[in-house]
Amino acid sequence: MASNITTSQTIGPFPHEAWRWGVDASNALISGAPTVTISGVIRDGNGAPISDGWIEAWLPDAVAAESAQAIPGFRRIPSNDDGAFCIEVSLPTPATAGKPVLFATIFARGLVKHQFTAVFLEDDSGLAQSEILAQVLADRRATLIARKLGDAQYHWDIWMQSDKETVFFDYV
Amino acid sequence: MRFDSVETGVYPTLVYPPYASTAKRGPTQAPLRIRAAEPVQTNIAVSRNLILPHDTDLTSHGQGEPLGEKIVITGRVLDEDGKPVRNSLLEVWQCNSAGRYWHKRDQHDAPLDPNFYGFGKMLTDDEGRYRFVTIKPGPYPWGNHHKAWRPAHIHFSLFGNVYAQRLVTQMYFPSDPLFDYDPIFQSIPDLAARQRLIARFSLEQTVDDKMLGYEFDIVLRGRDATPMGL
Repeated sequence: MASNITTSQTIGPFPHEAWRWGVDASNALISGAPTVTISGVIRDGNGAPISDGWIEAWLPDAVAAESAQAIPGFRRIPSNDDGAFCIEVSLPTPATAGKPVLFATIFARGLVKHQFTAVFLEDDSGLAQSEILAQVLADRRATLIARKLGDAQYHWDIWMQSDKETVFFDYV
Repeated sequence: MRFDSVETGVYPTLVYPPYASTAKRGPTQAPLRIRAAEPVQTNIAVSRNLILPHDTDLTSHGQGEPLGEKIVITGRVLDEDGKPVRNSLLEVWQCNSAGRYWHKRDQHDAPLDPNFYGFGKMLTDDEGRYRFVTIKPGPYPWGNHHKAWRPAHIHFSLFGNVYAQRLVTQMYFPSDPLFDYDPIFQSIPDLAARQRLIARFSLEQTVDDKMLGYEFDIVLRGRDATPMGL
């Protein structure tokens, strides 16, 4: 049967003023759980930073801990002039081993369809049992894993292309 | 909730050389179809307190009336079964009637309108309907190629009822002579999918001698998209 869905178009370079309320509503974090910070850079196929990109993070397991937030479990973050982003993440308690700490949606000028992905923490003891990672080719799994930098600090870069291209999802 | 695979051609071609910015930004690997429990069961919940009365009337943000053609746009947000997508956040943004965005990086040499910023947001109602009042946006040049002008369009951002229904798209206006020359519009291979991005003029929605009416229905991915409890 022919699909009748509405198709996608690029966000373009100019959503900032319209989307600012969502940035304000989601980033002054009030959380009843411990948090970690995931930071990185969105890069194009040449490794150049994408300075007009956006990340939306969805943290379904953190909704309860963030019930005092305007939009619990949600972040909207524009990349900065260096293509960099920083996301503060509430960790669910008890920890849910093998599940992403956040699902991410990536938007940018030149990206005619937004891209879905997810990120895991490298010291999650459940990675080997992860239902999602098990569906990803072994040699690309590293693109979904944030590396630990230090206490409560992790690093995760998003590559739109190249041999480091992040795994993007389509949901069944 | 079930997400059918999307037929080839319905989504734009991610690397589409006539749209230069796609060359190094569009993913080259096909998206991986996966099963994941959370994204198909839950979504952000936006409090009605975050939606202010003037958010649905983009012409009411200044001290006076904005310049241009005042219009009303309405439509229904549905899932693939035709069921309404209810209580769902929808955002819009656009340039003004002269083709200029309220954005520090917009260098187009057209005037800003102090009475028009061009952004709004709303929730769909129990029938999945949305409605907002605005000014018809102008076409504008964008430097992608010689004589590159975008057709008039309004950006739409939809959350749906579950995470995987998320959609950002653009609504176009009927009979725009720029469709055939716009590589963003043309990046969608399927002709019927392109047509679904064009609003329909509606005399029924037209409000007296105040504003012309347009209807634009939106179908999000997913079957049986309104979960229990919504």
